[in-house]
Amino acid sequence: MQDEHELIQQVYAAKEDMEAADRLIGSYMPFIKSETAKFLKRPPMEGHDDELSIAMIAFHEAVRGYSRSRGAFLKYAAMIMKSRLIDYRRKEQRHGNVISLDAPAGEDDAPLSDTIADETDHNEAYVVREATRAEIEELTRQMREFGVSLSDVADNCPKQQRTLEACRKALWHAKEHPELLDELLKTRRLPIARLSEGSGTERKTLERHRKYMVALLLIYTNGYEIIRGHLTQVMKGVAV
Amino acid sequence: MKYIVMECHPSYAVLLDEEGRFVKAANLHYETGQTVCEPVLMREEPVKQRNRLRWARSGFAAVAACFLLLIGLNYYRSTLTAYSSIYLTINPEVQMDLNRKGAVIRLEGINEDGAALLEDYEYKGKDRLTVADDLIERAIDMGFLAEGGQVSFSIDAPDEALVQKYGEELQTEVLKHLENRYTITVEVVNHQTGETESSQKTQGAQEAQDLPEPSDTQNTQEAITVPVVPEGGSDYGDTDYGPDSDGATDYSDTDYGPGSDGATDYSDTDYGPGSDGATDYSDTDYGPGSDGDTAYTPPAQSGNASSYDDGSSSYSSSDYDSDEDSESGSDYEEDDDDDEDDDD
Repeated sequence: MQDEHELIQQVYAAKEDMEAADRLIGSYMPFIKSETAKFLKRPPMEGHDDELSIAMIAFHEAVRGYSRSRGAFLKYAAMIMKSRLIDYRRKEQRHGNVISLDAPAGEDDAPLSDTIADETDHNEAYVVREATRAEIEELTRQMREFGVSLSDVADNCPKQQRTLEACRKALWHAKEHPELLDELLKTRRLPIARLSEGSGTERKTLERHRKYMVALLLIYTNGYEIIRGHLTQVMKGVAV
Repeated sequence: MKYIVMECHPSYAVLLDEEGRFVKAANLHYETGQTVCEPVLMREEPVKQRNRLRWARSGFAAVAACFLLLIGLNYYRSTLTAYSSIYLTINPEVQMDLNRKGAVIRLEGINEDGAALLEDYEYKGKDRLTVADDLIERAIDMGFLAEGGQVSFSIDAPDEALVQKYGEELQTEVLKHLENRYTITVEVVNHQTGETESSQKTQGAQEAQDLPEPSDTQNTQEAITVPVVPEGGSDYGDTDYGPDSDGATDYSDTDYGPGSDGATDYSDTDYGPGSDGATDYSDTDYGPGSDGDTAYTPPAQSGNASSYDDGSSSYSSSDYDSDEDSESGSDYEEDDDDDEDDDD
């Protein structure tokens, strides 16, 4: 009982803190594995079975969605994990009639993938990925100066399309007035008042999504060409 | 939709989609910087249901508050606001505010004497009639009202019927209160029209003695009540019942009652005091004319000793000895009945 109570306290702490949630998952890994094994009817292999990852993200969801009124946490988590795994299996079943690339082709034992002409340049892909990783690392470092982590930004990201567009409007305004971006870098503070005034976005919206706005504006300051290239949809409305 | 893997954790990954959303997803062996297509995104916690519940709850609260407000307003209107007023004028003038139910909610002296009259008077929880009586009593005590004086009730109500009702009520009550003590005129005035509805005088102590008691006339009036007699002479006119019976009825000849002549149409019986001992039943075993050769003993009517004592009764010989077990009880019963008949 005491143990259960402690777990619930940990769960409540992990609701706000992504790192605590990560630690909680680490200590409950055997539980997650056993639940996944029940589903797969065989022990899952770490680093190989996607199901284990699904179960882990489901555990995160359980931590978020749990409240004391829902009963025992572990039963709740087990239920969430099971339903997510079922969802995942149904999604994968759509590709059920596809032959694996690793299946042997013809008489010789060479896998099927070898017979297909590979059009993508592995080297180039590797280079691009490394460049992207470098950009991301630089962005993470710069964000840390603002006291913002990527996990925070993911939590702080607008959920509604309307809010997302409002934030985007503020970003366009900042892009048209580079002095705002300079000020952001110099003072390490988000010029909320002027952004709100210039873009017509509610001040409250910007305050609520401050971390997200910081990340978005930093991406549009300097460098980060690859990330910016990825965000094709964001700048769609600007030209209009 | 393509996603860039921004950050990798053992249990999840942070991805960035093309619209600028940062999302969390299952880490399906991703590496930072990788571009992925179909990630398993982390779902948001279900908040919808709780919101709906909150809506329902606040809606209920709002409805409840409205009801309370309505009830409160109704209560306020019916009990706390002045609906009608009564102005009591002796010399001191006093305004009495009543609510819809007719209870006194405020008393105010209009002139100085009125204020003096109301000093230290506690009206809370008192009926309007009690208040009127009390105030008049106080006015008498304080010397505002004396023998031969006048009390005026001016009633201000939005409803004519209510003015009437209050007026009659107050007048009756005050007249009753001052009866046989003072000669005081009680006047009721409709405040809105200024018309005097009625004016009555109480009878002072002397006057009350001089006048004949009004209750007497009432009694004589009541005594005239006549019992209803149907006309045309019914056959029920002549009865032997009641004080005015003549003793002669249509039942000309009976052997009952004081007018019996002892001779009935039942000329010859062996019953009663007029029995001659000779009946048409020439030979029976009953009565004194029995010859004794029946199985039955002579009946008790003739003054003999009861048949049970008779040694020659058949009980001993026939029933009790021979078939005692089966029929004796019933036989006995029958015999007994016969005996009783004879007794008459």
